[in-house]
Amino acid sequence: MKIKILHLYPDLLNLYGDKGNIECMRKRLMWRGIDAEVKSYTVDDTGFDLSDVDILFLGGGSDREQKIVCNKLLEHKDEIKRYVEDGGTLVAVCGGYQLLGKYYKLADETIEGLGILNIKTEQGKKRLISNIILKPDFIEGEIVGFENHGGRTDIGIHKPLGKVVYGYGNDGKSGAEGVVYKNVVATYLHGPLLPKNPKLCDYILTNAVKRRYPDFKGLAPLDDGLENTANDYIVKRFKNK
Amino acid sequence: MRKLLAVWFGKALTVLGKIIGKKSSSSPGHYALKICPSLVAELGKCVKKGIVVTCGTNGKTTTNNLMATALEAKGYKVICNRLGANMLSGVATTLIQEMNIFGKVTADYACLEIDEAYTPIVFDYIKPDVMVITNLFRDQLDRYGEIDITSEIISRAIKKTPNVQLVLCGDDPLCVQFGQGRHSDALYYGISEKVLPQLDDTKEGRFCPACGAEQKYNYYHYSQLGDFYCPKCGFKRPKIDFEVKNVSLGTPMKFTINGQPMKINYKGFYNIYNLVAVYGALSALGESTDDFERLLEAYKPQIGRMQEYKFNKPVILSLSKNPAGFNQAIATVNTDKRKKDVIIAINDKANDGRDVSWLWDVDFDKIADENMLTLTTTGIRVYDISLRFKYADVKVDMITHSMADAVTAALKTDSEVVYVLVNYTALYSTEAVLKKLGGKA
Repeated sequence: MKIKILHLYPDLLNLYGDKGNIECMRKRLMWRGIDAEVKSYTVDDTGFDLSDVDILFLGGGSDREQKIVCNKLLEHKDEIKRYVEDGGTLVAVCGGYQLLGKYYKLADETIEGLGILNIKTEQGKKRLISNIILKPDFIEGEIVGFENHGGRTDIGIHKPLGKVVYGYGNDGKSGAEGVVYKNVVATYLHGPLLPKNPKLCDYILTNAVKRRYPDFKGLAPLDDGLENTANDYIVKRFKNK
Repeated sequence: MRKLLAVWFGKALTVLGKIIGKKSSSSPGHYALKICPSLVAELGKCVKKGIVVTCGTNGKTTTNNLMATALEAKGYKVICNRLGANMLSGVATTLIQEMNIFGKVTADYACLEIDEAYTPIVFDYIKPDVMVITNLFRDQLDRYGEIDITSEIISRAIKKTPNVQLVLCGDDPLCVQFGQGRHSDALYYGISEKVLPQLDDTKEGRFCPACGAEQKYNYYHYSQLGDFYCPKCGFKRPKIDFEVKNVSLGTPMKFTINGQPMKINYKGFYNIYNLVAVYGALSALGESTDDFERLLEAYKPQIGRMQEYKFNKPVILSLSKNPAGFNQAIATVNTDKRKKDVIIAINDKANDGRDVSWLWDVDFDKIADENMLTLTTTGIRVYDISLRFKYADVKVDMITHSMADAVTAALKTDSEVVYVLVNYTALYSTEAVLKKLGGKA
């Protein structure tokens, strides 16, 4: 078995240890005997093609870099949309999350998004910066991470990734964080997201493997002692604050 | 009168701090400023020859303290915030401690390192004659937001001091961008030859600050430092006024500045930048640099700058505050071919940056070479750094909450040297542990 991961614009969107998310997915596939191939698609590349991609990753960047990426991404809007509607797995973090929406309204301009999610982001006054804990309803336990975003995201009727137990979330008031839609996981959480959230990582990987290999029975268990201890440490430290 | 009251109060707090055994590097100033907010402006009145401010992500403390040492070696009286307390309160504390009970002090020079985020505030009170900007790296993302924001803050500060002479790292595109408009007379220092292997570590400023296109390099040193040029708009490494060449990284390090040979007993390639920055600033002040090596003889590194403690084998303590700093520390450890043990401590207090995602932007896995006997992780975020190694396929031999246990274990192995790499708030506690275990600094 082989899974292809495509990292979009790692030359521009690479803040907050995004490398860690890619490494985490790659290693957790390999440890199960599943081949993982990671490819990058950079600003200089041509021939955008998602036909053999199993996991698409879009990370975070500074506002300036995000603007450059956005113009590039809009060229591939239809193909990414088709991929998502067809059940393709997409993980988007921070800036990547915002770009999936309708728009990101800054003080002096509005960046048009891909419109894959029916969400809208506006720049807020202060940046929302905190450790963060979420309670998801589709996997056990808590999702932990770190958030640092100026945008406030209104997710409309979308289903959030989780309820905010500690931290700010999408807009600091709705109590919701991120979006799950089909096989898209979009979130403000970095830290990076996946190494401390092995259950979420496996959820993403399972979706991707099942789409490629419909008879797939599920991922073999791993020794997640260290991952769970790291997750648990954040939960215990911040939960009742 | 408010001023005097503030000075007395600050002095009293310093004395109190000494009695209870605390290092008062910023709290006396913090409270004194509440009494007299303009206290720091006094500095401009009592310095006769000039004020030098150093800012930038890495190398501030070393550069600033070297500068003060050099000026003192010339016989000047210098005010310097040596302990690295670099916000407005730290500057105020330094000033209060230098003042007599009448609130008076006279000095020839002031050497101040200032935290980038505080430059606009400090420059409301102090108009420096020379400003050194060492580099801009990704640092403590959760505090500053992003590196672009830091650039913008420094630009705002520079606007407040139109007559300041800038001394900039000419190898860093993010520093070079400040040398424009009124500041096109900026002086630049740089290392003008390929020295290190051309690795592909995180380059922060890969994009041209002028037009946004991806920059190219004829050669580069680390992070975004090197001989850069933008193929699109022509923004490029400027003409270098203080030029380092003929670098040899042994012990001692040897190199030349504008042809003048230097032999200096510091570890770490990055220290060449700190030294040439001082050289440049002295020249900008109109001070002679003919006897530069001699001027630096009295310099004592602050704790944690590759500082050696003597046990049955040496234990070397290294402070790094951000990815660029850690990558440099790791490169320095790698050049030591002795059998070694490595201990890494990661904290996440406010001064460290609460966000530890940067751990994944550092090439920690490179620290594991054939000469490393054991690797130990510790600190508040011990699990995060351990996971970082797990996903890089590097075996961690010991995961512990106790630095004392980590050091004790490393002292018992067959290694010849122990490296302890820590981030900011882990520094003083580690120093205390090393002293308690009997290490001689």
